[in-house]
Amino acid sequence: MKKKWKQFAALTIFGSALLVGCGNGGSSSGTQGDSDAAESGRTKITWMNMLHTASPPTDTITNEIEEYTNTELEFQWIPDASKEERLNTALASGNLADIVTLTIMENSSVRNALKAGQFWDIEPYLDDYENLSEISEETRRSASIEGVLYGVPFQKPLARNGVIIRRDWLENLGMEEPKTLEELYEVARAFSEDDPNGTGQDDTTGFMDRADLKYGAFKTLATYHGVPNEWKEENGEFTPQFDTPEYIEAMDYMRDLYANDLINQDFAVTAKTDQQEGFAQGRAGIYVGGLMDALNLYTLAEGIQDDMDLAQLNKINKDGSDGYAIWSDNNGIGGLLAFPKSEVQDEEELKAVLQFVNDLHDDEMYQLMTAGIEGVHHEMDGNVSTRIDEDLWQQEVQPFASSRPKEIGYDLVTGNELKHYSDQLILENEEIAILNPAYSLESDTFTSQGSELAVSIDDATYQYILGDIDLDDFETVVESWYNSGGQKIVEEYEAAFAENQ
Amino acid sequence: MEGQLLEANTVKSKRKTSDWWQHKYLYLMILPGLLYFIIFKYLPMGGLVIAFQDYQPFLGIFGSPWVGLKHFTRLFTDDVFFMLLRNTLNLFALNIFIFFPMPIALSLMMNEVVNKRFKSIIQTIIYIPHFMSWVIIVSISFVLLSLDGGLVNELIAYLGGEKISFLTSPTWLPRIYIIQVMWKELGWSTIIYLAAITSVDTQLYEAADMDGAGRLRKMWHVTMPAIRGTIITLLILKIGNVLNLGFEHLHLLLNSMNRSVAEIFDTYIYTAGLQNGQLSFSTAVGMFKGVVGFILVWATNKLAKKIGEDGVY
Repeated sequence: MKKKWKQFAALTIFGSALLVGCGNGGSSSGTQGDSDAAESGRTKITWMNMLHTASPPTDTITNEIEEYTNTELEFQWIPDASKEERLNTALASGNLADIVTLTIMENSSVRNALKAGQFWDIEPYLDDYENLSEISEETRRSASIEGVLYGVPFQKPLARNGVIIRRDWLENLGMEEPKTLEELYEVARAFSEDDPNGTGQDDTTGFMDRADLKYGAFKTLATYHGVPNEWKEENGEFTPQFDTPEYIEAMDYMRDLYANDLINQDFAVTAKTDQQEGFAQGRAGIYVGGLMDALNLYTLAEGIQDDMDLAQLNKINKDGSDGYAIWSDNNGIGGLLAFPKSEVQDEEELKAVLQFVNDLHDDEMYQLMTAGIEGVHHEMDGNVSTRIDEDLWQQEVQPFASSRPKEIGYDLVTGNELKHYSDQLILENEEIAILNPAYSLESDTFTSQGSELAVSIDDATYQYILGDIDLDDFETVVESWYNSGGQKIVEEYEAAFAENQ
Repeated sequence: MEGQLLEANTVKSKRKTSDWWQHKYLYLMILPGLLYFIIFKYLPMGGLVIAFQDYQPFLGIFGSPWVGLKHFTRLFTDDVFFMLLRNTLNLFALNIFIFFPMPIALSLMMNEVVNKRFKSIIQTIIYIPHFMSWVIIVSISFVLLSLDGGLVNELIAYLGGEKISFLTSPTWLPRIYIIQVMWKELGWSTIIYLAAITSVDTQLYEAADMDGAGRLRKMWHVTMPAIRGTIITLLILKIGNVLNLGFEHLHLLLNSMNRSVAEIFDTYIYTAGLQNGQLSFSTAVGMFKGVVGFILVWATNKLAKKIGEDGVY
């Protein structure tokens, strides 16, 4: 008996040692080395920022920014995929930087932190800076919480989404670019059943979508159906989007697509990268998402689908009339550049950081963070920039795309013809963008329970589209949304709306 | 009489101190482990107080308002609670009734393999999956089970069957879950049983041979009783982990369609606490989970002692 126990103990210890050894691989540190610190009188600034690319950039662009703004920068990159948990833990532990990029303002702990006064109210200072003073009153109000502006707002295009379609397939089938939802459905059917790529095999479908109701196909198709952007406001009364008949119509549309095999059958569990790869491999012909993704799709398709030709569409509606709509992502506010009081301790420091952010708005900085260094990453011809080295650009410049505090109103035209076209459509979208009327309104219940309640609606939407539940079940879920807090959210929004009038 | 006793006591305690002193290096060796438990397991328990507060990081533990049992009330009155409990117990039952006996059977079978070389090769091979991360295992299954060109579904279609949406089906989730657990952990779990089996006195087998026992008889009447203690110990440990069904694993399998069967306490804590920032509420959920786990270990241990086994403490 004793001997057995010794063996057992030895094995367990050995086993756990192995486990521990294996488990340590994944730790990562956000900070980067600053070997050449304190060389001059430059302001030292740390910046906790979002990273939308797979790996953080090299120092090339950082050095240029430092040079221009006379600062010494240290980035702490947060991968976009884990932003909620990273930001929440950073806020909870107080482990912040001088500048914190807050892109998820609707998240309850971010909102609570802002409302609790953990960050500076910067509105009184804005007008002292050349570029910051130009931020419009409208933007300032949209980005405020209970009337207080807790950071410099990211100014983004109002609406970037649209439909991307294989033009070469349309031509093969002798079809026109769709202008109505019905035509779009017909294109999907033809792409699925009429062998658009001429291989003689049943190897294509219409839509290629991913598990994302918002940035994937659903929300965009929903606006085409006339669904409001999150909330419908009528005479001061608020209705959530999923309680409108249009929402049901949009779900039915997707449900039909799914039932008839006109969309990838795994869309509800497909990741963005898989979706784009699948499209680039020629498995489907319709992509709904950001219009600027067209460029990415071309890049991915190089060498696999060289004859791919993409049409970008932003004007589709129910009846073919000339009224169009597209939902606006956060009303054009990409979040805040916020300054925690724990790091930026006095006014003097705040002014230095604000000066830095102000400088980032300059044309030179925008060009640097968008296109890179002239002669290295791109070449300029008038206001048109063309990339020289795509790989180098992706590696060194692209990660800074999300660091630009302002992405609109610059003359610079970048990328290639295709990108110019997407940019133009995105500009057009501004005219037809549908805003979320509740975006800058305050509801305590939404802050604390909103995202949790939304999960049940999202789940039910998927289940309805996949045909797992029927309309009655969906309505039951909506009913229980109202009962478990939704009704309060509606009332709080209506009260806040009335107050703001 | 009294004096004698006193004397005996002092002698005893003296011996005890010198025992301590004599083995001081041995005791010193406990220190790192002890510190580990104090720093990483006991001190953080103080943080449990935020389950009774409306915790705001900015205000800190001392500044946040106390709300009593508010979060517990919310938990126990929420429908979600019963879903979580049901799913957790469901998957736990699969773990205990289906997965738990398997390594025992496998190690008994391996014990019967005569060729040592062959045996060690098999052992090495079945240990390998243990070292793969869940991400890899779930991704492999994903590729195999996908509706758009997944191998399994292609095969079903080829054989004339109807494709099954394994990845989004609530009925398939528990099966996929337990198959993946088996594939990953079955081999590794045999280690302890195999070790226990090697310590069985060979004379017992010889005696059984004399009595004319066959292989199965020897397995049942010699090997099984000999490793019974080990089995009970591992069962208690396993039950202690009842509510730790593998956050990473289920987090990867979870989606909008199978949430009704796949959401367990761990995944819920992650979404509510870390993603949605409801720190106090998720702490309350975690605390409930811990208490249940503790009660289960205690009860099983009691039970084990009652039926004449050692238990774990």
